[in-house]
Amino acid sequence: MGTESVLLGFTLLFGVYMAWNVGANDVANAMGTSVGSRALTLRRAVVVAAIMEFCGAFFVGSHVSDTVRRGIVNPEIFVSNPLFLAYGMIAALLAAGAWLQVASYYGWPVSTTHSIIGAILGFGVVIGGFRAVYWHQVGTIVMSWIVSPLMGGIIAYLIFTLLRRRIFYASNPVEAAKKLTPWLVFSLFFVLTLVMLFKGLKNLNLHLPFARALEFATAIGLIAALVSWPLVRRIRAGVAPQRELEIQPPKVAKALIKAVKNLRQAQTDSSGETHYQLTRLLSEVEMLAKTAQRGMEVEAGGDHLKAVERIFAYLQIMSACFVAFAHGANDVANAIGPLAAAVDVLKTGFVAMEASVPIWMLALGGLGIVVGLATWGWRVIETIGKKITELTPTRGFSAEFGAAMTIVIASKIGLPISTTHTLVGAVLGIGLARGLGALNLRIVRDIIVSWIVTIPAGAILAVLFFYVFRGLFG
Amino acid sequence: MESLDERKEKIPHLLENLMRTIIARLFGRSPIPPLQFHMSKVAECVQKVDDLFSALNAGDYEKIKTISEQISESEHAADLAKDDLRNDLAHGVFLPVDKTTLLTILALQDSIADKCEDIGVLLTLKRLELSETFKDDFQQFLSKNLETFGVAQRIIQQLDELLSTSFAGVEAEKVKKMVDDVAFKEHEADLLQRRLLQRLFELESAMPHGTFYLWQKIFEAVGNLSNLSENLGHRVRTLLDLKS
Repeated sequence: MGTESVLLGFTLLFGVYMAWNVGANDVANAMGTSVGSRALTLRRAVVVAAIMEFCGAFFVGSHVSDTVRRGIVNPEIFVSNPLFLAYGMIAALLAAGAWLQVASYYGWPVSTTHSIIGAILGFGVVIGGFRAVYWHQVGTIVMSWIVSPLMGGIIAYLIFTLLRRRIFYASNPVEAAKKLTPWLVFSLFFVLTLVMLFKGLKNLNLHLPFARALEFATAIGLIAALVSWPLVRRIRAGVAPQRELEIQPPKVAKALIKAVKNLRQAQTDSSGETHYQLTRLLSEVEMLAKTAQRGMEVEAGGDHLKAVERIFAYLQIMSACFVAFAHGANDVANAIGPLAAAVDVLKTGFVAMEASVPIWMLALGGLGIVVGLATWGWRVIETIGKKITELTPTRGFSAEFGAAMTIVIASKIGLPISTTHTLVGAVLGIGLARGLGALNLRIVRDIIVSWIVTIPAGAILAVLFFYVFRGLFG
Repeated sequence: MESLDERKEKIPHLLENLMRTIIARLFGRSPIPPLQFHMSKVAECVQKVDDLFSALNAGDYEKIKTISEQISESEHAADLAKDDLRNDLAHGVFLPVDKTTLLTILALQDSIADKCEDIGVLLTLKRLELSETFKDDFQQFLSKNLETFGVAQRIIQQLDELLSTSFAGVEAEKVKKMVDDVAFKEHEADLLQRRLLQRLFELESAMPHGTFYLWQKIFEAVGNLSNLSENLGHRVRTLLDLKS
């Protein structure tokens, strides 16, 4: 009994550590876009993320967790030696965690998902033999790693192109944005509800056939759209005082610049009260000179676009929720999949897995993510938000929409994908639609390299830890 | 010795090393603000060309010399801004605009600054005097060129708004109109230049050959300001996503 208890403790510890890791780092990449575009304040982003991540993990997390638990390595191989499976899964958790620490330190764009899958694969092949691995399933997963960023990118591209055509081409962009809003709200809620309900919510003993789920999703989508309609009407275009800045002849700007020069000379040479007054005067004249120089820059057009972005700031709150939900649904598996497999073995002593991942484990995973977010993740969100300054809500919304849609579908099919890489794909999609100032393509190369390195690295570490555990516990 | 404040500032930096900020690293520095900054330096040069001729009008040759030196300084500042932007575009950066076009725009802005410097140098070569015969025509010609450049500058100032509508829609239509405006003003400048040259040739026999030649060079250089501005406008136009 003693060894099992110790191992059980280890499993829970490492599982929760992994969930913490997901909450500390990966959530930030999902939420950073919302903070960067100022759709959410840091505090709100953390609250939204905490609630939605937990819901995602709890309600939809079982699918991917199940894949990680028994869809990659065939548990039956370990029937004669069930503890090996437990060692392997604990080793996988530890290996992925260690690898992520190393990667974070060096700034490699490594994915949590890839680390854990690599680790499980490694121990599966080395300990269980080549036939222990469901290669067909692994092939599907690897394919999904390639397809998910592409799909995120394509959806984001399409959404942003739709916004361009419908809003930026319209003679009144604000009205156009208001008209489009209910449709976007509808599609967001429709997809989210459909994914939640269809064959889902097993945890709540709620089984709905597709037709029923479709009806429900349509209804909820419609309600959400109807609610959004009057709300968005209330947003003012914000053209309040039509500040059509009269264009000054260039002479004015020039004269003002000269005045600034002279004032500055006077200011540096003066002292005391005069110096103070000159400093004040100087800043005022400088402001005036700047506005005169800019002339036409401040125009009605700019205000319209700002109003559009304000509308999308609200929509982005929704897409941010969606992303956090999808992320929780997919990434909780990285912690809970291996944990569930190990706990099953340790509790029963057999490789006889329960039909589905127990709810308490999903709740534990969700909680781990929330704790990670609260203790460290908010810092990362803050850092990312500060660095992403060029993202506006229209872009953020489109990117998050594309990413969330992809992730939530993958979660439903039970494919463990990298949410961060999917979001990178989505942002690149916006870039292709000419929506962003500059994108660093070097990070894409780094991501591809990190794919290639992470799988063997996770595998080797997992095997290493496996032997350590076997040596320690027999 | 590091002060406490300095050390405090380093702490978040150290913490950052432990973060996986992948998404943030995807976002690069937009080339548009540096391009606009470069253009503002170029505009300083162009403004000083106006001062240059005011000084000539007043017959203040010392001032011409100082202004000419100032133009050189501004031109140098523009060059630094240009190098800065070029280095940013080195490789691995994905832009919403064609990189070659962007570099061409930068090169055009740069040659406007160069032209200003040339004008400054030309005016210091010899003590010139604005002849009454073409004084008014020249003033008109100069203002037209400055005006044309002014529109080009405003087009560049529109680039950040253009980016926010992803180079499409109403904003793009607006910029297209401005480009048409530049082209029209350049044409007007051409007409003025023709008249100005006629006036100059009226003085052919009365004017020393060197002076005659110098004026011709000056007209050419000033006329280039609008020519280059027009080219600049057309380049920006190719960036637009226009309907049809």
